[in-house]
Amino acid sequence: MSGRAADDEIYIVGAARTTFGRFDGEDNDLAEQAVRGALADCGLTWKDVDFAVGGTNGETKPDNLVARLGLTGLPFVTVKNGCATGGVALMTARNGLLAEGTDIACVVGYDNHARGAFNASPARYGIGDWYGQTGMMVTTSYFALKIQRYLHEHGIDPRTLGYASEKAFDYAAAHPYAWRRKPVTVDEAVDADMINDPLTRFMFCSPDAGGVSIVLARGRRAFDLCEKPVRLASVALRGRRPGSFEVFSTWLSPGERTSPSIDAAKAAFSAAGIMPSDVQVAQLQDTESGAEVIHLAETGLVEHGAQEEGYRNGDYLIDGRLPVNTDGGLLANGEPVGASGLRQVHEVVLQLQGRADGKQVPGGPTIGFTHVYGAPGISACTVLTVD
Amino acid sequence: MPLTVVDETLFASLDPVALRGSACSDCGATVFPALGSCPMCTGVDVQPVALPTEGVVWSWTTQHFEPKPPYRTDAFAPFSIGYVDLGPVIVEGWLLGRTTWQIGEPVRLTLATAWTDGDTPVQTYGFEATS
Repeated sequence: MSGRAADDEIYIVGAARTTFGRFDGEDNDLAEQAVRGALADCGLTWKDVDFAVGGTNGETKPDNLVARLGLTGLPFVTVKNGCATGGVALMTARNGLLAEGTDIACVVGYDNHARGAFNASPARYGIGDWYGQTGMMVTTSYFALKIQRYLHEHGIDPRTLGYASEKAFDYAAAHPYAWRRKPVTVDEAVDADMINDPLTRFMFCSPDAGGVSIVLARGRRAFDLCEKPVRLASVALRGRRPGSFEVFSTWLSPGERTSPSIDAAKAAFSAAGIMPSDVQVAQLQDTESGAEVIHLAETGLVEHGAQEEGYRNGDYLIDGRLPVNTDGGLLANGEPVGASGLRQVHEVVLQLQGRADGKQVPGGPTIGFTHVYGAPGISACTVLTVD
Repeated sequence: MPLTVVDETLFASLDPVALRGSACSDCGATVFPALGSCPMCTGVDVQPVALPTEGVVWSWTTQHFEPKPPYRTDAFAPFSIGYVDLGPVIVEGWLLGRTTWQIGEPVRLTLATAWTDGDTPVQTYGFEATS
């Protein structure tokens, strides 16, 4: 079987995640559980790992996980790229294997956040204290301001946001590892307490706890370790350019809007030689319902303005044209920042292997896509395929 | 009595009130608050400028929950914030006087009390409807 895979190709051969939600233990417990699960998934042990990457937004040091997993002397890189951490970690591991000429990489992302919205420090973002003191340094208001403008520019009914929420909790109800698993109807989502117009309580994800790990193998090993390895056809990371609309922006430039998500998705599809229209299952950064609506179009999967019709048609449901966020996404899983991007990859890998934890996309999908986006304006996308 | 403001570097003048941004001599881009370099073109030849004081609502939301510290207020009530298109730059700030807005409606710059420090009102900038 190994003859099928070129040695410069990188495959995902193992994947595991914890349940997401509230967690009373140590952050490292989440990481360890995920790593041991992913290694067991492909019949490896920590001794077999040549290169490791860990991401967290918390206080622990991922590279110190070796104290639990084993002092094998391997290179272990730490990544801290906000909501895009998972995608960056995966890319770093891929690059590590290719650069070092080794075979097996282990990627882990985890976090265990306190309740409530993130409380960012103005100084950390190079902004004066006045910005926080006057109540503008709030992530939820940023998302609201962005989708409010987007709905206006593209003539989209705000009710579309309710469809996104309904879809997320419908998927999550069937997913054993999701956090918020109670179904919510479109009406319930739209009529719920307003947090930041036009976004209600059922349209935001919350910071929570979780861990995910992914094991990568170079081509020559992949088919020996895994019955159905998933090829990492591409992974691309991009930052913001003039015209992007990012969190904690005291000003925006007039004129054409750009987005790191547009650039990262375009780069990922180009490198993989795959068209957005070929994608059969996708995971998008849905920090809130509006983010999913925007990212459907920014990644090229759907035309700007066509999202409303897509939701109404059921296009993004499990038997639709393009199932999206089939594990409930961030809306239903919450966001342990370090783990979230790898959760997306985990879900698409299992969908492509035909062993989804929750609802399985029918018909044997072979092409998947993942997208993370975060502060201060970075996005990482992957294209994943099976033969 | 001189006004006390949340951050003096935000203002080109207080009476009449005007915000202080910076404009790039190379590409013309305007930013707020003033920066020492231009993020649009990477240039370093920038000059402080007083921004236009009238514009239109570019986007808006209302903050329905009380932000965590360092947010300061005498008494929280839901308040609106928005982006206001001033022409050369779109600026984020408070939208004053109500909690529902329309994109495109005209507004003008003014001062508003952010909180009271002892007996001294601490002022910040905001935008109010012109009609």
